[in-house]
Amino acid sequence: MTSFHPDKVTAERLTGNKASTGPQGPPRDDGTLLEDPSVRSPLVLNNRSLHDVTEIVCGYAENPPGKWWLPLFMFTATVAGIGTLMILYLLITGVGVWGLNNQVGWAWDITNFVFWIGIGHAGTLISAILCLFKQKWRTAVNRSAEAMTIFAVICAGIFPGIHVGRVWFIWYVFPIPNSNAIWPNFRSPLLWDVFAVSTYATVSLLFWFMGMIPDFATLRDRADKRLRAGSGLSKLSVQCPITGIKFFSLPFSADGVRALVYGFLALGWRGSSRHWHRYEAAYLILAGVATPLVLSVHSIVSFDFATSVIPGWHTTIFPPYFVAGAIFGGFAMVLFLLIPAREIFPNFKDILTLRHLENMAKIILVTGMMVGFAYAMEFFIAWYGGNKFEVEVFINRATGPYWWAYWTMIFCNVVTPQVFWKRSMRTSPLAIWTVALFVTVGMWFERFVIIVSSLHRAFLPGEWHMFFPTAVDILTFVGSCGIFLTLFLLFLRFLPIFPLAEIKAVMPQGDPHGHSDDHDQSDKNNAEGGH
Amino acid sequence: MSLMFPKWMNALPTLGAVASMGGVLTVIAGFWYWATPSFFEVGYEPIQPGSGFSHKVHAGKLGIDCRYCHSNVEKSPEANIPAVDTCYACHGQGRVSPARSTASDEKVQFIRDAYESDESIEWRRVHKLPDYVRNFPHHVHVKAGVSCFSCHGQIMSMPVVRQEQSLSMSWCLDCHRHPEAAMVPQDKVTDLIWVQGELQARGDGHGTVNTSDLRDRLWAAPPVACGACHQ
Repeated sequence: MTSFHPDKVTAERLTGNKASTGPQGPPRDDGTLLEDPSVRSPLVLNNRSLHDVTEIVCGYAENPPGKWWLPLFMFTATVAGIGTLMILYLLITGVGVWGLNNQVGWAWDITNFVFWIGIGHAGTLISAILCLFKQKWRTAVNRSAEAMTIFAVICAGIFPGIHVGRVWFIWYVFPIPNSNAIWPNFRSPLLWDVFAVSTYATVSLLFWFMGMIPDFATLRDRADKRLRAGSGLSKLSVQCPITGIKFFSLPFSADGVRALVYGFLALGWRGSSRHWHRYEAAYLILAGVATPLVLSVHSIVSFDFATSVIPGWHTTIFPPYFVAGAIFGGFAMVLFLLIPAREIFPNFKDILTLRHLENMAKIILVTGMMVGFAYAMEFFIAWYGGNKFEVEVFINRATGPYWWAYWTMIFCNVVTPQVFWKRSMRTSPLAIWTVALFVTVGMWFERFVIIVSSLHRAFLPGEWHMFFPTAVDILTFVGSCGIFLTLFLLFLRFLPIFPLAEIKAVMPQGDPHGHSDDHDQSDKNNAEGGH
Repeated sequence: MSLMFPKWMNALPTLGAVASMGGVLTVIAGFWYWATPSFFEVGYEPIQPGSGFSHKVHAGKLGIDCRYCHSNVEKSPEANIPAVDTCYACHGQGRVSPARSTASDEKVQFIRDAYESDESIEWRRVHKLPDYVRNFPHHVHVKAGVSCFSCHGQIMSMPVVRQEQSLSMSWCLDCHRHPEAAMVPQDKVTDLIWVQGELQARGDGHGTVNTSDLRDRLWAAPPVACGACHQ
């Protein structure tokens, strides 16, 4: 343990101000995965001081991100643009450009909607439930997971909006007085969806933005300080990432823009005790408000199906099954995005440690088995319930024309997470990333299987139709991935991607009891990251 | 930190909230007033071919019953526009003496021309329902004791017919949900002046007709399901 907190640096570190220049003390197994059960792994590695953390996190937003960023951004933005053009084409031409038919009236559109709305749930779980349960490791992932939630909800919101065909009538979903004397049907789960998703989007946005206010203030003050020191007066210039040729430069400095924009977003935050007191209270309230949303939003999304009388949809297991699946898919997306970021950004691994990845791998394993259980229960109840249409739907699901979708789902969602029983897999970023990719694919297929395989055969054989996606179907979905990744890249580039204050609070320096003269006690407390 | 922003900017969040709320309300109110049929449908008064057709003269001054020209209104879903023959029956050469009629020969010449050349007069339709209103049967409404006046207004005082009512869906539903407010005895359906007086009196609470009895006798429950009109 003493190797984590060698005495020679403890004094400096405990002041909380002295910057360390780099890793201090030998790294041991990434330092996070201790064999000694009496000691908790540290949440920030390499004996970083508080100032180090500020420098690292603000550095991501202040410094050019490296040559990879702009080409990647241009690529994802192009994909997003293609998706937008596809939506425009749909609006101009009509929903006939999709592969829908009389029997399969919902297909990729609603699959994509449920897929994206599910992705967001990891962010809400991390920010709300793990906050209330005081899971300190959440601090390293909550900001990016919340950002992901917002972006996923944006992507999700597109699909129900455009699948109605005549998008200019979408205001019918809101209870607005109108000259038709008709009102939304409050008995329809599709309307509950409107309220569930819009509440979810609002609360998630508030949570995300409020958490960033102190960090915006930090970025503002750093820019302001550089401006006053006269070191921030370089002109803002844009240059080609490959050749280095300068395209143009603007007549104001980057720090001037930062001070203005971050200053505006910081809403006058000065970091006074009164500010912090209210901030903490508001954070707790929002966590309390958001906690039921983790369970309610996807439950209501599942009602879209469960309250209908279509065999394969009409099951009571849907709400818990959907919620588990949403958290499962959401964590997979968090890992899918953060593991590459962890490799690319300097010092990212000090804050997002292997222990964090291992924790999330465990959640993937647990929720993966929950959805596996739900898949099995659907078949069991179909048989046990004795409804032969229900039995037929499920046999058709596994052996009918969409068998490949069903077994892709089973393989990705149930089989691949099982590798996490082995610790070496849970601590290998490459293995985790691969499983996360499989799970993301599998969760998309889960929604496709539920929707299309239940719809494509109705009670009368005359109503049997296959669904085949058109190029517009495919490109719209790919485009939504482009929108999601574009927004995430902008987030990585310009916003504080870790919550500074929260991370500092889980560092040894943030522990008010960790400064005793008793070295053994002090070491232990420091290593636990406080109480 | 320095003071980057002037102090008045503290008011911005409040102002922003008020402005966005006000903006939303303004947009809703604007749509409510300008983008509904009661604004852009009511008052439609197209110029009719030839010298036009004055309902004020024919239905008002001369007292011709609506059904003389709109002869199928009790039998057909369409309240038909009369054929040229119907006009010509009175306005043919030498039929109605110009001395006893204000309709001079020149004024009705377009009717005679149409009759001679065996062509229709292209009267312009005033009351149009949208295509997706697939089922609006005139005869059912007339049989149910809904007066012409309820939808078309005081036609017999109009030199040129104009649209009096919005024909919006809420306007239809208002009546379908409370039909007794508009129902009159069947023999009074085309008596527009009587109906106007009766409905006015009914609004003031002293109508002469037992409406609930009328409703039971004529039409117990007008449909309010989507399929009734949008089939």
